[in-house]
Amino acid sequence: MTANANRLPKTLDAAPESRTPPLLLRLLRDRSGTVGLVLVVFFVTISILGWLEITPYPILEQHPIDRLQGPSAAYWFGTDQFGRDTFSRIMKGGANSLQVGILAVSISATIGTIIGILAGYLGGIFDTIMMRLMDILFAFPSLLLALLVVTILGPGLSGTVLAITVVYTPIFARVARGPVLALKNAEFVTAARCLGAEDWRIVLHHIFPNMRTVLMVQVTLALSWSLITEAGLSFLGLGTQHPEPSWGLMLSANRGLAEISPALILFPGLAIMLTVLGFNLLGDGLRDVLDPYLKNE
Amino acid sequence: MFTKKLFALAILILVLSLGGAALAQDGGNTLILARAVDATGLDPHTQTAFSSLRLLELIYEPLVTLDSDLSLQPGLATAWAFSEDGMTLTMNLREGVKFHDGSDFTAEDVIASFNRLLAEETASAARTNYLSIVSMDAPDDYTVVFNLNTADVPLLAAMASFNAAILSADVIANEDPALVTVGTGPFKLDSWTPEETTLLSANADWWGEGPFVDGIEIRIIPDETSILAALRAGTVDFALLNDPLVATLLIDDQSVVLHRVPSLSYNVLQLRAAIEPLDKLEVRQAISCAVNRQEIVDSAALGEGRIVGPLTMASFALPTDELFCYEQDVERARELMAAAGMSEGFTLPVMLANAEPPVAASIAQVIASQLAEINITVEIEALEFSVYVDRWLVGDFTAAVALNGGRTDPYTMYSRYWQVDARFQPTAGYLDDTLDSLMKAGQVETDFEARYQIFADFQRHLAETSPWVWLYAPYGYTAHLPSVSGWEPSANDSLYYLYNVSINR
Amino acid sequence: MRQYLARRFFASLFTMFGITILVFAAIRLVPGDQITAQLGTEAGMLSDEQRAAMERYYGLDRPPVEQYFTWLGGVFQGNLGYSIRQGREVLPLILDRFPVTIELSILAILIALLIGIPIGILSALRRNTWIDLVGRVFSMLGLSVPNFLLGTLIIYVLSVYFGILPNSGNYVDLFQDPVLNLQQLIFPAITMGFSFASSVMRMTRSAMLEVLNEGYVRTARAKGLTERAVILRHALRNSLIPVVTLIGVEFGYLLGGAFITEQIFSLPGIGRLAINAITQREYALVQGVALLIVINFILINFIVDMVYGWIDPRISYDS
Repeated sequence: MTANANRLPKTLDAAPESRTPPLLLRLLRDRSGTVGLVLVVFFVTISILGWLEITPYPILEQHPIDRLQGPSAAYWFGTDQFGRDTFSRIMKGGANSLQVGILAVSISATIGTIIGILAGYLGGIFDTIMMRLMDILFAFPSLLLALLVVTILGPGLSGTVLAITVVYTPIFARVARGPVLALKNAEFVTAARCLGAEDWRIVLHHIFPNMRTVLMVQVTLALSWSLITEAGLSFLGLGTQHPEPSWGLMLSANRGLAEISPALILFPGLAIMLTVLGFNLLGDGLRDVLDPYLKNE
Repeated sequence: MFTKKLFALAILILVLSLGGAALAQDGGNTLILARAVDATGLDPHTQTAFSSLRLLELIYEPLVTLDSDLSLQPGLATAWAFSEDGMTLTMNLREGVKFHDGSDFTAEDVIASFNRLLAEETASAARTNYLSIVSMDAPDDYTVVFNLNTADVPLLAAMASFNAAILSADVIANEDPALVTVGTGPFKLDSWTPEETTLLSANADWWGEGPFVDGIEIRIIPDETSILAALRAGTVDFALLNDPLVATLLIDDQSVVLHRVPSLSYNVLQLRAAIEPLDKLEVRQAISCAVNRQEIVDSAALGEGRIVGPLTMASFALPTDELFCYEQDVERARELMAAAGMSEGFTLPVMLANAEPPVAASIAQVIASQLAEINITVEIEALEFSVYVDRWLVGDFTAAVALNGGRTDPYTMYSRYWQVDARFQPTAGYLDDTLDSLMKAGQVETDFEARYQIFADFQRHLAETSPWVWLYAPYGYTAHLPSVSGWEPSANDSLYYLYNVSINR
Repeated sequence: MRQYLARRFFASLFTMFGITILVFAAIRLVPGDQITAQLGTEAGMLSDEQRAAMERYYGLDRPPVEQYFTWLGGVFQGNLGYSIRQGREVLPLILDRFPVTIELSILAILIALLIGIPIGILSALRRNTWIDLVGRVFSMLGLSVPNFLLGTLIIYVLSVYFGILPNSGNYVDLFQDPVLNLQQLIFPAITMGFSFASSVMRMTRSAMLEVLNEGYVRTARAKGLTERAVILRHALRNSLIPVVTLIGVEFGYLLGGAFITEQIFSLPGIGRLAINAITQREYALVQGVALLIVINFILINFIVDMVYGWIDPRISYDS
């Protein structure tokens, strides 16, 4: 399938001969989308299994005699310094890592986008105030914020999610605001206004669809970032807490042992990489499918 | 097209940087020393951090020092004697010693230093070790008599501490010792850029033999993995390491010489007997029996640790088979729990400081797994260091995995915990008459044999009543390139002996 | 425009005040103070008089509100306070460390742009070919490797396979020894730039794809402009807006200091200064660094908004 920019896009008033297939089927016709979907579904599934603790070994069970082994029949991904099964911990780790990411990104994307659209569209004092508030959130040293949150809420899931949410919300606000600034004076928007459309309608039906792509990319980026941010927070002791596993915590805690047993960082690293790949391909697929002007001809 | 040009540029930069870096820097006759933690200040009387002492001991000297066997050696004092009743200590000072600013070292400096150490305004945390000193006299320029209000055998060992370093009386009177660094030691301080570099030059007028290097450049490399890389690349000559996981990678490395020195500090699971159900003796004993200390050392520190009783110094250490339940005995642990009516188990919150030491979290996880065998569910609470210290000092915890500092004298090591009105009683969480009387006896007993027995009983009693579960003592590590010779590590981690080191590049 | 600038300026002041007060309160809310940070558990050995003496020394004995206004007053006179641990005044200390961070950030962003934009463009133009696939896999790598891991790996490879390590705690700045300085900064810059390169690549690709099918691009092609002119003059310019946003975000973030990278490569930058200040509870230093970070963000956001206006003539700030 090659890009052919000379073909005209489908016009909106062409009468469809058959009903547009459901989103899922359309997605499956797109190659990236399929691969992405498969990866995401795979990791979400093993994460759910991990969360329910349906794993080859109990996650916290230590077998000191078998410590620091490489992959084997007994331990598919090897063991860590306590003799805990890495494969089981990757499963539960996925649940912990993804939980943080999905929660943090959904909250920050929703709030941030709303703020960004409102600020960009309404402009004036409102824009100034909202954006300066976003600046405050941005500029607040994130470690101090994370430390404060963790001290008040105690270490654990809610603290990590809150810390990441606060850091990402301004990013979404900024990303959403940019296109709105550009589009609010566009011809079709002016036209719609002349026709008497209310503001919220304009935003929802005219401006938002044109931002969708950028937002979607930002969401997949943010989901990917969140896995890494969680790793960074774990490196500083502010993310997931021992003995609960998370991919990020496994990477940072086993950094010193990597020379002795590379499997210890190889598998969490692969898990993160493939999940990131999955999110991004899925995002691309969704965008291709939802945006008729970009479909492959 | 232009993308290709950009790539080419990027690769060019990379090649240039790699090629250029191959021209390794030559330190000449200056020893390049790397460590992860920098000194926190320059005042020897108030600095307590090991990292500060590791710097100051190159610049300042106390009256007496410890050799690699931890026996007292002459420092700025050449001879000393207690009076018959132990109430006065007379010290003869070394003659011909000069401070780094050229002035002479005399009894006046000793008296000025100790007065400063004892003054409240100085806020020296070590002051409590010298409270027996009531007054001092200087019959001549090179003799000092300390008048004590009680017989204080540990005082001599306390004087070997760099917290009792001798400063110049001039500096004390006219400058701020925290800013002006004038000592008598083998090296002079040229500059200190905190968290970056410290430059020391050799003191040509030093009274001892050495130094054989022109100076020392101390570089702060915060990540010990990076220190390891620097050693391997040969860009530093000497390094201090604390992380056993990093040190184990050097054991088989031919290009670096690793020295392992047993540290006086100890890893311990502190239990607060003030809180239920830890107030029951059987419960605490059960925990001690359920724990497998060797497994902790193997899992958390990859075998880098030695299992010792409460006293870590070689002269007073007891063989571990004389101590209660040092061999894991899960059966006995279960019986004890049953006897206490706690077969159902309970939840035990355990706090620890993040990265202080790095192995604390690992130790806690192993303990958690072991205590699960007797139905105790451990909840690990990893706190930021200052938050941890805050709670630790007031005893706001049920259990804690701690790395506590050791001392060369058994009394000084535990006087703050196991006596009536001891400063750290809230942290210790337990006291009984036996411990108190043993401590007090140990402070005044002058005969070494008798003292050994007192502290042997002390350790056995601690193991049996189990207010804390002593785990293991870690090692301190020094590593250097083969071109560095003359280094002899000392049992208290001191860097003082760097005066003996020479480099053959 | 002047009205806009004035509004912007006063809003910025508002931001700065907001942050300084929040940070001031936050650092005091967290348990532990400079004395426990300095002495650790030995702090318990201090008598009450000694503790009082130390509190006087550190300026902790006065009520918080008074401390804040004393500090604020100092700020207006250019005195940001004193760091006892470092033995220096805060402002010179920050100004000393800041150039390292600036240089590192600029290098990192340059590397990211040099790598990310071309790959993003290529990927968009050759959509769904193997070039596109390689580009996208590359961008996945950048997004999925934490910088502490990448940094550790780079240092390991350098020391074990090449026997060199420019970063051995002996940082020299650009004017002392430009070659050594670049050697010391190139690898940390790659570490930090690598992940940003992926974000840039993805944004560029996505935005380019959108723009390539817009009306004005077809018009340009219809006019017979070469592909290159179409890309450079029209498509790229308009797809840069989200990329500019990203650059602004990233630059602001980087100027706050990349603690982990500075830690691993032993660089004396703002990141380590800030984190150490927090763990050491050096109140004046934390507040000083926070103020610096705020000012950075304000300036960068302002520049980004101005660049929006320049790139896209549809955007106007006059209402």
